[in-house]
Amino acid sequence: MTALVSLILGTAFGFVLSRSGAADYTYIQQMFLFENFQLYGIIGTAVALGVPLLWLVKRRRRTLFGTPLHVEAKPAHRGNIVGGLLFGVGWSICGMCPGPIFVNIGEGKVYALAALAGALVGTALFGRLYTTLERPLRLPPMQTGTGEG
Amino acid sequence: MPWAMAGMAIAAITALLLLFQNRRLGISTGFEDVCSLASRTGYFSRASLRDGRRWRLPFIGGLVLGGVIAAISTGGWQPTWALGMLDDTLALEPAGKLAWMFAGGLFIGFGTRLGGGCTSGHGIFGLSNLEWPSLVTTICFMVGGLITTQLLYRVVLP
Repeated sequence: MTALVSLILGTAFGFVLSRSGAADYTYIQQMFLFENFQLYGIIGTAVALGVPLLWLVKRRRRTLFGTPLHVEAKPAHRGNIVGGLLFGVGWSICGMCPGPIFVNIGEGKVYALAALAGALVGTALFGRLYTTLERPLRLPPMQTGTGEG
Repeated sequence: MPWAMAGMAIAAITALLLLFQNRRLGISTGFEDVCSLASRTGYFSRASLRDGRRWRLPFIGGLVLGGVIAAISTGGWQPTWALGMLDDTLALEPAGKLAWMFAGGLFIGFGTRLGGGCTSGHGIFGLSNLEWPSLVTTICFMVGGLITTQLLYRVVLP
């Protein structure tokens, strides 16, 4: 059941990202050049509507299947700043953030497979370096991680 | 698709994921999920990963499927190397595009995992849940992207 619901929601998300320009190299560059405000509009609308919607859902304290519903906040650490900046560089180079990497693979953009390979190697590298970066960047203990999502 | 409609759909998907599964929207941990399939040591052996894989891997499969469906319904699916604006300014060969994307991917993987999330986890869910670390991270990745694109298209490539 979990897998089926996830697959359906993921498919809907991928379709919207593809059709709206959020998974399009040129749209991403035009956003960062302030030449096209489509993507600012998408994120702005999603958050403006997301605030009341999440508030309503959290008030239930139960999922639709009756199991407990609890949102754990992401931890704060210096990795938010350093990691955010590095990710921004990658987002600009590829014209894809993580979701659109997978969407672009589905669309048939062959080079997106190389972006995925790079992202996996980058993630593996980060996992290797976690204990080294933990103290200088004030990261949470390894079992907690930097934040899920 | 108009931005207002896309924004509303994304907010609805985010709320439904929480309502059905008690999960925060977030994609970049999916990179760790995939790594954890290959490596069961250290950072990739965390219990939360094994637990999250059950919903996140099918969700990622859905992202790919959504891309396929969108392509089929807009003129048909076919493999492509077209890269929009980059083709107009810097006509890279396929091998060059693979190297370009791999390099960018390294920043995406390392950066999102160090930052604890990406555009969806921090930018959409985190901001919608009014979490200040998400605001800090979102500002940082917008700044990182702005500087890189501005440098690339206004200074380096012209």
